Amino acid sequence: MIRIENVNKTYRSGRGKVHALADVSCTIAEGAAAALVGKSGSGKTTLLNCIGGLELPDAGRIQCFGQYLSLLSGSGLSRYQRRRVGFIFQHGNLFSYLTVRQNIAFPLNLNGFSKPDIAERVEGLLERIGLSRAGDAMPHELSGGEMQRVAAARAMAHSPALLLADEPTASLDSETAGNLVRLMFEIGKENNCTMVISTHDPDVFHLAEQVIHLKDGRIQEEE
Amino acid sequence: MKSRLIFWGNIAICFLLRSGRITAALSLMVITAVAVLIFLSALAVGVNDTMIRNSVGLYSGHISGEELPMSLPPDRLRMDGVATVLKRVYSPGILSREQTVLPITAAGVDPAAEKEVTALWKKVVAGAYPEEGKAEILLSRSMAEKLNVQPGDPLDYRPLPDGSPVTLTVSGVFHTGIDTLDQNLAFCPAGVLENAGKTWQAAIFLKEGSDPDAVVADYRNRLSGVGRFQTWKEAMPDLVQLIELNYVSMGIVLILVFGVVSLGIACAFVIFIFRNLREYGIMKAMGVTSGEMAGLLILNVVLMNLAGCLAGLLIGVAAVLTANAWGIDLTAFTSHNRYFTVSGIIYPRLTRFSLWLPLALSLVFSLIAALWPAILVNRKKAADILRIV
Repeated sequence: MIRIENVNKTYRSGRGKVHALADVSCTIAEGAAAALVGKSGSGKTTLLNCIGGLELPDAGRIQCFGQYLSLLSGSGLSRYQRRRVGFIFQHGNLFSYLTVRQNIAFPLNLNGFSKPDIAERVEGLLERIGLSRAGDAMPHELSGGEMQRVAAARAMAHSPALLLADEPTASLDSETAGNLVRLMFEIGKENNCTMVISTHDPDVFHLAEQVIHLKDGRIQEEE
Repeated sequence: MKSRLIFWGNIAICFLLRSGRITAALSLMVITAVAVLIFLSALAVGVNDTMIRNSVGLYSGHISGEELPMSLPPDRLRMDGVATVLKRVYSPGILSREQTVLPITAAGVDPAAEKEVTALWKKVVAGAYPEEGKAEILLSRSMAEKLNVQPGDPLDYRPLPDGSPVTLTVSGVFHTGIDTLDQNLAFCPAGVLENAGKTWQAAIFLKEGSDPDAVVADYRNRLSGVGRFQTWKEAMPDLVQLIELNYVSMGIVLILVFGVVSLGIACAFVIFIFRNLREYGIMKAMGVTSGEMAGLLILNVVLMNLAGCLAGLLIGVAAVLTANAWGIDLTAFTSHNRYFTVSGIIYPRLTRFSLWLPLALSLVFSLIAALWPAILVNRKKAADILRIV
């Protein structure tokens, strides 16, 4: 379960203080999929980053799977991100100098999986995302949709407890986006993975069990 | 641990291989620096070798033995590391020609042996080196001018304090540019100076690579106080200083060049990291620790340097061996220098100094070069990187 309690986050920018998150509280059940919805600048990415431990709230606290992130040390936070979290970003997810296969294997190597286990998982995921013949391709040889499928496979390769996706379909056409969303939900549900996805995509709204609307850093409504 | 190292090693190798042009450009910088500095270091060693060879090979030898009793045969001085021992007898005397008299020290030598080992005969500017069995004398140019003689002219020589005068023919005139040789030494076959003194002096020439200090220690040990022995280092402290100065200057050049190259590599890597900053941000988001990130960057720089060093080493060694086979003739720049009186041809030579110092410095500096990018990436938060890139 992910419990977000009275989280505040402020940035300083050229335009002065920006309240990215203001007193945000919500709970996401374990294994559930939550869609974060809101306009650009509403605080979706900041909330995802806070849940993923990429940044710490100025006030309030976040509990993920029984751990308060603010209490974790630097290495503890790295361990949490490495073992329990998978990230998908809007673009530029893949390491340009690694092949598709090496990209998917990266979190598995990082988590100390055995060689046979890595090979089995990578080949299985490649088949799953329909790129079993592109394992040795470099990222720049893939289309945008293929890149995001590889990014999804990599994010879920080590069976994380939490998948955080920041507008993963934003740069894709609707058909490709639909395929990617279905793929993410399929693999996520199989692994009982809690998913938090910031999106404008109606496909995600329909598949998510929970939709959190954000406006100016505040939760407007929860469905 | 081992598998973790292999994993990060593979990532670093993939990064270097697939960033082909940038790796090649950076490697070229390292290759050039290492090759050039190996060559320059070997050249410095070659210059030192030439100065030593010229200084000891002209006349004095690597070791000089003085006040050796006539009862001690030269063969007693032949031991491990010794190539040749030349026996010389010195006798003070007066040279006279018509009304002019000149106090000198006559050196009685074995002309054939001297010509074989020393290079004084090459400094004969008129006439020829004396020949065994002939009553001849070789004078320095200043002596010949003072006595107003030329090769073929007769001279009277009277050993001091009360020797019988002999008439000698001037066989030739030499000029070395070295005061101790040009001022008052004249050379004649040892037979001319029979019964000249009670002691003799040895010029000892060593085999390549022999340590003069070790040989002298051996002499002092074996001959238990007989005679006095002095290495060229003791006899020529100015040359020793010059050689040390040469090494220190080369060391400074090496450090400066690698400092500049490292700065270039660090700058290029920082630019490269900024270009790929998002990928480092994603790595951080995936839980790669600061230590792992720093390790990866250091591995990248060190591996690239290692490859560059290896290629630079091969090129540098090949260049040194080629130059060593031919020699580099710098006579035009050394002809008035007393340490290059015999030859100005430099033979670059590889030594531990010339071979390992550039490599060691390259690796040390590459580690330093990796620190800046490593610190830079580690100081940036993943969220900040992903937000701005």
